[in-house]
Amino acid sequence: MATKFVETRTIRTIGAPRSTRTRLITIVVLVVLLGFAVALPYLGTTSYAMSLVTTIFIAAILASSVNFLVGDGGMASLGHAGIAAASGYGAAWATRQGMDAWGQVTIALSITIVVSLVYGVLSMRTSGIYFLMVTLAVGMVIFGLAYRLSFVTGGENGITGIQRPPFLAEYWMFYWFILGIFVLTTLLLWVIARSPFGASLRGLRDSESRMRSLGYSVASYKLGAFMISGTIAGLAGLLSVWHTHFISPSAAGVHRSVLLIVMVILGGVGTTFGPLVGAAVVVLVENVLSNAVERWPTILGLIFILVILFARAGIVGSTQKLIRRIRRRRSGTPPGDTDLHQETAIPDGELTARKELP
Amino acid sequence: MKSTKTSARTRWAGAAGLSIVAALALAACAPPGGAEPESAPSESTASGTLKVGYISPITGNFAIAGQEMVDGWNLYWELNGDEVNGVTVETIVEDDAGNPETSLTKAKKLVESDGVDVVVGPLLANTALAVAAYTSSVGIPNLHPVAAADDLTQRAANDLTVRTGSQSGSQTNYPGGVWAAEEGYKTAVTLCPDYAFGWESCAGFKQGFESEGGEVTAQYWFPNGTSDFSTYVSQIQAAGADVAFVATAGGAPGPDFLRSFLGLGLADSQPLLMNCCSMDQATLRALGSEIEGFKSVSYWAEGRDSDVVREFSDAYGEKYDGKLPSANVAGGYMTASLVAAVLKENGLVTGEDLVSAITDFTFDDSIFGKVSWDDYNNTVGPVYIREVKEVDGKLANVPIKTYEGVDQWLGKDPEEALKQPSYSQSFQG
Repeated sequence: MATKFVETRTIRTIGAPRSTRTRLITIVVLVVLLGFAVALPYLGTTSYAMSLVTTIFIAAILASSVNFLVGDGGMASLGHAGIAAASGYGAAWATRQGMDAWGQVTIALSITIVVSLVYGVLSMRTSGIYFLMVTLAVGMVIFGLAYRLSFVTGGENGITGIQRPPFLAEYWMFYWFILGIFVLTTLLLWVIARSPFGASLRGLRDSESRMRSLGYSVASYKLGAFMISGTIAGLAGLLSVWHTHFISPSAAGVHRSVLLIVMVILGGVGTTFGPLVGAAVVVLVENVLSNAVERWPTILGLIFILVILFARAGIVGSTQKLIRRIRRRRSGTPPGDTDLHQETAIPDGELTARKELP
Repeated sequence: MKSTKTSARTRWAGAAGLSIVAALALAACAPPGGAEPESAPSESTASGTLKVGYISPITGNFAIAGQEMVDGWNLYWELNGDEVNGVTVETIVEDDAGNPETSLTKAKKLVESDGVDVVVGPLLANTALAVAAYTSSVGIPNLHPVAAADDLTQRAANDLTVRTGSQSGSQTNYPGGVWAAEEGYKTAVTLCPDYAFGWESCAGFKQGFESEGGEVTAQYWFPNGTSDFSTYVSQIQAAGADVAFVATAGGAPGPDFLRSFLGLGLADSQPLLMNCCSMDQATLRALGSEIEGFKSVSYWAEGRDSDVVREFSDAYGEKYDGKLPSANVAGGYMTASLVAAVLKENGLVTGEDLVSAITDFTFDDSIFGKVSWDDYNNTVGPVYIREVKEVDGKLANVPIKTYEGVDQWLGKDPEEALKQPSYSQSFQG
């Protein structure tokens, strides 16, 4: 029975048949959106607007690394800002030593891998609230180091003057670069989530004890997931210092990690484009709405509460649910036991699977 | 199953191919028009307006200090009108919540989208350094009304960044040490917050004290967020030094420390010197007459007998329920009066001209006293040893001794000072 259950889930998640029309529509919409994103610098946008959009994409890359862990692995991390900051500090330190861009990338990514390994090894045997606490603690350690090791990190003052490689110097070139990285990481996470590895991760999320009794090494799967997620977070950290030319301990603070979780929940846990939408909402409220409204933190809080109350699957997740419901009503399927697996990323697959299975 | 999978893959490959082709096609076109430099400054020059972008943490943990900094700036223009010598000063205030990333985005917004001629602020050291690095890269002057980070006018100094309304952390406290030694104290113990501002403050005091032959016997550090100071007060008591120097970055720690200090009955037995921010108006209002006679060292003294100070604090009191202005308000007001004075002398100046107009200027009767600027764009001005006294029914910090023309080099020459590492727990100069 148990074997069968796992099997069905796995099959369904790998290659659930979707209606060709839905697929086509999705792909066309995605291509149009991507085309729009690529063309954005030509559409009369100011350099400030482009810089905002770049910020959103970088935040989205970081949020999608958290989303991957929460959505597929069921592991909510409160320490991802720490990983990103460690990588950023690596790049900053490399700049201070007079290294070129490749030196920065090498140092930043090696630090990322080491830090992710530390996080992963410490947290791989925990789950739920304990996982949260371990990642929070390691994040605090990184914040503490950034704050106190002033001969390396500049302490509270941070490090300024970090330069990105010359071929990315112009803001629009950097924007395209970031867009490319975003597309690549999103694609990568999408593929991983649909691989057998991703299926096993979801198995872990749903029942650790079952996976263990089936002979899976739970800890190594968790470590693997954390390494993937951590590496992407580190990449986002490096891109972030290339964008701001600056890093200080506040980048590693709990505040940033919490905002990442907020982005993921706002967008929709486990959805492919949830992190992007969530990041856009948070960054825009923080940077644009705050120009007009003095009490913008209240607005952000209200948006969060409203989403939790009325759209628990997040903005993207709930939109998907809504579309599904409308379509179902049109096709005449009676409304009933809807959305048993609202967290899975493939809405249409679920529907068709349910229709076909009986 | 299998066929679905393959066809999906093919489609994805197709989609990817399509988008790459689209990207290449677009990339082959001319670079986007947004790449052209902004021409906003020259426009506003023509219209006789100085556009000012003012960044301050109006929300978040530093909201009180941030709001005060804005109040000071606004108060000056309300009192004197926002037109000087035919130039209208237009201010856009932005909130950065004390977060460097937001600060930077706001600075970009002000420069690239609003086309401001000068950015004033922000408040915190890390936000100030981040914004200063950006504004100097785009050729916009950046004035700092409150930020105290040494590096702003030392290792990270640049031609376009000026400290206008405060002094650096070590600079202000150096005369404090000199004064303590001159008072005849032979040994001292220090307590400072455990981060850059605290390290700089204590380094300033220590070097001043030792330059006059004193000896610092113990240095204690408290983490940010400390609210119970009783253990630190006991340590100070146990150290048994002739004088204790205590610095905080403002806010709750000042009153919290003093409550423990008074609670343990040290007020009469342990001589104490505090820094600017631990003995500001918020502390005086919180503790009242209990701390009459307490001494502190700062570049700002609201109880100084001077027409400009009186005019400023009367106007501030009228607007804010009889309160006296704190150092943050004074920093904003000082920067505004400086900008006004420079505009009056030179007409409309922007860019590097504005910076050189400020740094060549000697502000003889500012609210801080006689202030001029050094080659690294830092203030050179008086530092006051102040005592809490009642003036017209209100407690104020009244100067009892003035050190004129204090610079940021603590008695060294600039090259020598810049060669040493940044201050930390382990390096105090």
